[in-house]
Amino acid sequence: MSARPRSPQERGGFALLSLYAVLIYLFLYLPIAVIVLFAFDAKPIPGLPLDTLTTGWFVEALRDQKLTGSLLTSLRLAVVSAILSTLLAMPAAMVLAWLPIRFKSLVMAMVLGPVVLPQLVLGLGLVILLRSAPDLVGEPAIILAHTTITSSYATLILYSRFLGFRRSYIEAAMNLGASELVVFREVILPLVRPALISVFMLAFTDAFGEFVVAWFVAGFTETLPITIWTSLRQVISPKVYALSSVIILVTLAISLVSQLWVIRQTRLTSKVQTS
Amino acid sequence: MQAGAGSAEKRRRRFAAAGIAPLMLWQFVFFVVPVILLLVISFWRTRNYRMVPDFTFANYIAVFTNGAMWRALLLSVQTAAFVTIACAVLAYPIAYFIAKKAGRLKGLLLIAVIAPFWISIVMRVAAWRLLLGENGVINQSLLSIGLIDQPLGFLLYSPVATSIGLVYAYLPLYVLPLYASIDAIEDNWIAAAKDLNAGPMRAFWEVTFPLSLPGLIVGAVFCFIFGLGEFVTPALLGGGKQLMMSQVIQDQFQRRLDWPAGAAISIVMLVIVFALLAVSMKWFRKASGEKL
Repeated sequence: MSARPRSPQERGGFALLSLYAVLIYLFLYLPIAVIVLFAFDAKPIPGLPLDTLTTGWFVEALRDQKLTGSLLTSLRLAVVSAILSTLLAMPAAMVLAWLPIRFKSLVMAMVLGPVVLPQLVLGLGLVILLRSAPDLVGEPAIILAHTTITSSYATLILYSRFLGFRRSYIEAAMNLGASELVVFREVILPLVRPALISVFMLAFTDAFGEFVVAWFVAGFTETLPITIWTSLRQVISPKVYALSSVIILVTLAISLVSQLWVIRQTRLTSKVQTS
Repeated sequence: MQAGAGSAEKRRRRFAAAGIAPLMLWQFVFFVVPVILLLVISFWRTRNYRMVPDFTFANYIAVFTNGAMWRALLLSVQTAAFVTIACAVLAYPIAYFIAKKAGRLKGLLLIAVIAPFWISIVMRVAAWRLLLGENGVINQSLLSIGLIDQPLGFLLYSPVATSIGLVYAYLPLYVLPLYASIDAIEDNWIAAAKDLNAGPMRAFWEVTFPLSLPGLIVGAVFCFIFGLGEFVTPALLGGGKQLMMSQVIQDQFQRRLDWPAGAAISIVMLVIVFALLAVSMKWFRKASGEKL
């Protein structure tokens, strides 16, 4: 249990590993720091050395209707995809984790498929499919595409969480004569709520940031990743960095908070279980 | 309430079917059907920028005889292999550190490794352009401390840049399964090896490392598969000179409007992915079987 090193040799190893860990975290967070840094740089073409610092690019970004428009589109579409994929994933993950089913490996293959399929390939397949439903190109197609990817991730994450729950709670309630609906509302829902919320948030961030598949089926719709992609083909304005840095910080906060919350909740429920 | 066991079983089965049906239906229409369509048109032909139904292997023959496609396929496999190895080497110590040495900070450190994975790929790549460009942060810093006299041109728009971007993108993904398998190794087992006079190195190579193999395999498979099919990073960091497979596919579809040719390359990529998954599942079973 204790992580304290004992011999001098082991203490040296620990110091070396810690130093390595610091370097890796620097590598992971350096690009993020650079984006945030250049969002405050006054020069119109970013580069070192830094000029005077300004918050002007944030204001500019908010005034840019193309940027804010695509931001709102992305937010709207990602919320719908996250709701849809949570609704699809929740019952499927419950069944996979708690009930015996036939053809389980086929079902798992269907769930895992969109995760391992290169996103480019899924995008192209959907483009061909959409030839028979051209009216869907644009926002509906983006929602369909993102829901396909995120519902898979959501099912896998929920499945692994649900495996850890005690089926005895549900069976006890059933044996006490509760109907399925009551069991679901009074027992299952409170148990799985933290997992559901965290999966919803992860599905949202995933759909919000996804580019390739959306790009193929978007038609004239512009999501924020598509707008940034287009601007990357020219000299990129610092207002894009300003908007990106806000979004990056929000994304990091969402994933940190939702994951930490899940850890705390699991600790609470496992405490209840052991007492 | 007190129905017979048979009807309870039936009820349960109906519940299971109802719960799983919506997702299966969805994945069938928007995942299975698109892949089948791709497979079908990969046997078609293109005439005057229009697809003509046919049953020809010409598109597949082209994949393996056309020099440019071969090079793209090779570059993709090489890059994915390099990225996988680099990620494994970089991820192992950090996963070990978090699992065994981080103490109370464990949860937080793990989440902090994975968090960047959730940032949009387009934004992460934009950040690397700022770092790697001719006037980018890395070149400017090296120039100002006098380590180089001229900006390093090969940093951006090269396979090097693509590899850096991909390692950055998939390192978090590799840490996750590695952490899980190292964390599951009981400290007692390592202590037992040491009690039997194994040095720390021997204890690591004979206890910790073999037990962490399943995580190493899962991480490698996902890293390789994702690296092989990744499009955004090579398109924005790799420059246009040496194309990867995903770029060739996109080029066929969007610029040359030769969908059957693009579909054939996609199917080749899919076959590689699924063959790799099948083989690795075997390894995985073997590696986790030895644990018991």
